[in-house]
Amino acid sequence: MVEALFNEPNYLAAKKTLDAVALRQEAIASNIANLETPGYKRLDLTPSFQSELDRACASRDQRQIVSLQPSLAPDPDAAPTGRDGNTVSLEKEMAQLNQNSLAHNLETQLVTNMLLRLRMAITSKSS
Amino acid sequence: MVQILSGIQSTTAALDAERTRLDVVSENIANAHTTRGPDGKPYQRQVVVFESALQQAIGGGAQSQTPTLKVARIDKDSRPPIMIYEPGHPDADANGMVAMPDINLHEEMADLITASRAFEANLAVVKNSRSMALQTLAIGRH
Repeated sequence: MVEALFNEPNYLAAKKTLDAVALRQEAIASNIANLETPGYKRLDLTPSFQSELDRACASRDQRQIVSLQPSLAPDPDAAPTGRDGNTVSLEKEMAQLNQNSLAHNLETQLVTNMLLRLRMAITSKSS
Repeated sequence: MVQILSGIQSTTAALDAERTRLDVVSENIANAHTTRGPDGKPYQRQVVVFESALQQAIGGGAQSQTPTLKVARIDKDSRPPIMIYEPGHPDADANGMVAMPDINLHEEMADLITASRAFEANLAVVKNSRSMALQTLAIGRH
């Protein structure tokens, strides 16, 4: 029965997105680290992840959401910024970094709120 | 290994590499007028060569997906020394010419600024990762 409390599709989706955000942070860290490595191609989440997550959420099927695995791949759209074939632009990465950190903030608050609601239901106390 | 700060390995490797670059730049500037190195020749400008390597995970030896930055080697720049007429110099040849290292101060300063900006960018990533980690640790608290 307790299992069911933690298997709500929204909760699972928030957790999955949190995984993806953490992985994305790694990609951005690596991009900024390799700002000047010749031939480095910027990494990002595989573009299909978001659409797959959307589809899995729409189907309300927990197993489908749980089985999703975010992964990293070189960004195919990024154009080289200089002559050395490096595709990292510092400004873009900093913007992505901030965006990612906001997304992380949002997801942690979502998960926290879901857990607090659960606690409220169990204890019947609001704090 | 559990990574609380995501991406910290790439970032620390980059901080390390950029610091090496700063060291090399300062060495170049410091030796802009060194006419006699340990080998008796004028100082040769040094260049840091970066490369990225896939990081080896500490556990089972599996490779993680993100490449880290590392200093491949510190190479000597191939440009020849410039000859300056300075007959009073102890290292001057018979014609009064002294071989000076070909170091362009503007070039070195530009390199210095690029390296320190890259260093700052990586520090910003550390700060960001840290605040994210704190948020993660606060999940379920109010």
